[in-house]
Amino acid sequence: MALLELRNISKIYGELKALDNVSIQVEKGEWVAIMGPSGSGKSTMMNIIGCMDKPSLGEVLLDGTDISKEPQKVLTDIRREKIGLIFQQFHMVTYLTAVENVMVSQYYHSMPDEEEALEALERVGLRERAKHLPGQLSGGEQQRVCVARALINHPELILADEPTGNLDEANENIVLDLFRQLHDEGTTLIVVTHDPEVAEAAQRTIVLEHGRVAREILNENFGKQ
Amino acid sequence: MTKRKMFFRMITASLLRRRSRMLIALLSIAVGATILSGLVTIYYDVPRQMGAQFRSYGANMILLPGEEKPLTMERLQEALKNIPEEEVVGATPYRYVRLDMPSRQQSFISAGTDFEEVQKTSPYFSVEGEYPENTREILVGKEIAETLGLKERSSVELSYKTTAFPAGTDPGDIQAGKVLSGSAEGFNKVLLSADIVLDEEGKIDSIAVDAAYQTPGVGSQVGTDQAFLDQFIGKKPPFSLNTPDSEGTQQEENTEGVDAVSGATISSQAVVDAVNSAVFGSSEGGVIVENTEHFTVSGILSTGGEEEAYIYMSLKDLQRLTADETLDVAELSVSAGADELDNYSRAITDSELDISSRLVKRVTRSEASVLGKLQALVFLVTAVVLLLTMICVCTTMLAVVSERRREIGLRKALGASDSSIRKEFLGEGLLLGGLGGVLGAILGFVFAQVVSINVFGSSITFQPLLLPATILVSMAIAAASCQFPIKRAVAIDPAIVLKGE
Ligand SMILES: Nc1ncnc2c1ncn2[C@@H]1O[C@H](COP(=O)(O)OP(=O)(O)OP(=O)(O)O)[C@@H](O)[C@H]1O
Ligand SMILES: [Mg+2]
Repeated sequence: MALLELRNISKIYGELKALDNVSIQVEKGEWVAIMGPSGSGKSTMMNIIGCMDKPSLGEVLLDGTDISKEPQKVLTDIRREKIGLIFQQFHMVTYLTAVENVMVSQYYHSMPDEEEALEALERVGLRERAKHLPGQLSGGEQQRVCVARALINHPELILADEPTGNLDEANENIVLDLFRQLHDEGTTLIVVTHDPEVAEAAQRTIVLEHGRVAREILNENFGKQ
Repeated sequence: MTKRKMFFRMITASLLRRRSRMLIALLSIAVGATILSGLVTIYYDVPRQMGAQFRSYGANMILLPGEEKPLTMERLQEALKNIPEEEVVGATPYRYVRLDMPSRQQSFISAGTDFEEVQKTSPYFSVEGEYPENTREILVGKEIAETLGLKERSSVELSYKTTAFPAGTDPGDIQAGKVLSGSAEGFNKVLLSADIVLDEEGKIDSIAVDAAYQTPGVGSQVGTDQAFLDQFIGKKPPFSLNTPDSEGTQQEENTEGVDAVSGATISSQAVVDAVNSAVFGSSEGGVIVENTEHFTVSGILSTGGEEEAYIYMSLKDLQRLTADETLDVAELSVSAGADELDNYSRAITDSELDISSRLVKRVTRSEASVLGKLQALVFLVTAVVLLLTMICVCTTMLAVVSERRREIGLRKALGASDSSIRKEFLGEGLLLGGLGGVLGAILGFVFAQVVSINVFGSSITFQPLLLPATILVSMAIAAASCQFPIKRAVAIDPAIVLKGE
């Protein structure tokens, strides 16, 4: 059974169909990239998968259960328990240090544990910067903190919307390496990107156009690097 | 780390690291709390303050000697036992006598009193210079000071004379053989003088009267009428003129009577006075006990009332000068309601002390009505200030929420439930309220103190209970003002974080 299945979902804003009858499946442990021009509905889809929005039509099955009709409170619980989020704009709490930002995620999930949070920072190579505020970190470093924050609760599914959009080559590689590690550990990854290189790191690429799935590309080179 | 610890770490970090906006909220709460605690302090202190204020219009209870026994300090203390000690603001004894100032040939009403108490019962006394602290220091009324040209540190001589006829006094012992002169005013205030010599026993040995300037042929006879003058010889002063009336001739006690020269009563009286004066140094009949001391003016008293024509000295000084320990009156300032005052007054009058007590009604009655109005005013101002504080905190927190939209969205995206968001904002609000409350309680005390000193002229005591009360109230206000902003925060859509706004 697929971890995630979208069945004929549409998201309609007045006249505009941000998503138009989209159906996709993502298997457990799979690494999927989503590409498409601006306005094609990538973020809209991520919001729905991330339980932050509901589709106008269609069903969202997560672990086999339809969550598309669940109330917001249940969606919040699901998001907290199963999903890790990484955003293009980094989105850190500006007045909390790096380690505290990681701990915020633990705080909402279960118990804050500074040691574990420091280990997560270690993993993204930022243990030394644990006590720094976001303003004192570079964009790449902030994004790495966000990755640490997304993986701290060991989510089944990590959703990343343009995680490397604002990063240089070196930081992009660090982040991709982290994704590879997560993938090796069995985490399911859905990564929205404009960057073909990032897409090529995934097993499969889904291309959206005008709110529809235009095509799917399997990456034959996956795992051969 | 526990969840609670992380919670506090987050909300304190929010306050400490995002200073500017939170500082405004903190400041508005602190200002509100300051005014609140300050006004409440004054509100509760007003009755006391106003009581003191009314006391400053003078005493509200007066004790007078009864019918039989004189009033003394001991008996005053005894009477004060009828009033709870803490309600007695002041109890001032007064003894009034007339003192002469020989160098100026004038006399003034002088009061002996307790200056410490005077300052409590008559706070409207305004003294230029100092209240007397040492013995032989006096306060001189402004009127006297102006007519006599007295200033601080001026020295004055005051003397107390009693005209009495103590039996057994024998001036002759000391004055025998000497020519003693005395003078007195005769007809038309023309002076007449008498020279006398006393013998060993103090009796008149010889007498010569110069009455040349009295009415010729009438008054002047007293100097030449040997029969008149002979009445003095061999007798012991003091003398007095016999006053004929229907029951025969009368004469004053303890004196030798002398018949007037017919048709020259006034001049005859003048001769008697002059002789007495020659012997005793006074124009009045009787033995003059004169006690003179030097005093230093320590201050000039202005009251706008009759007190400006008085001289004030310590009761001890006056008692020494007059050799008399009685009091004329005691003025009490009692901090109690009209009914209680009535009870105290009746208790004193009804006691065995033989002291009569009276209330100064005018002062006690107006007190209650003014107090009521003042407290209502303070209450109103407090309510308005609290409302303004709430509006200010509410708008500030709204601004904070919209400033932190992304952060709130992020927290929600990370799995924060609505109730966590609510809890966090409420926590920040309560923390702000608590801090503002502490600040406000302290500043409020300072504020109340300043107001009290400037408006009422007296300081207030710190109410320890007001500290937790102020903190609680400002926390409640902060929490209440945060309710609407929290609603806004909870309504924020987590999806905004993915839209990259
Ligand atoms: N709340 C909304 N109300 C109305 N229209 C919306 C709303 N959210 C998204 N849209 C529209 O839906 C379409 C898809 O938006 P979406 O953000 O999913 O695009 P995207 O593929 O993520 O683009 P980009 O690559 O620029 O991030 C856009 O045309 C957008 O304007
Ligand atoms: Mg997008």
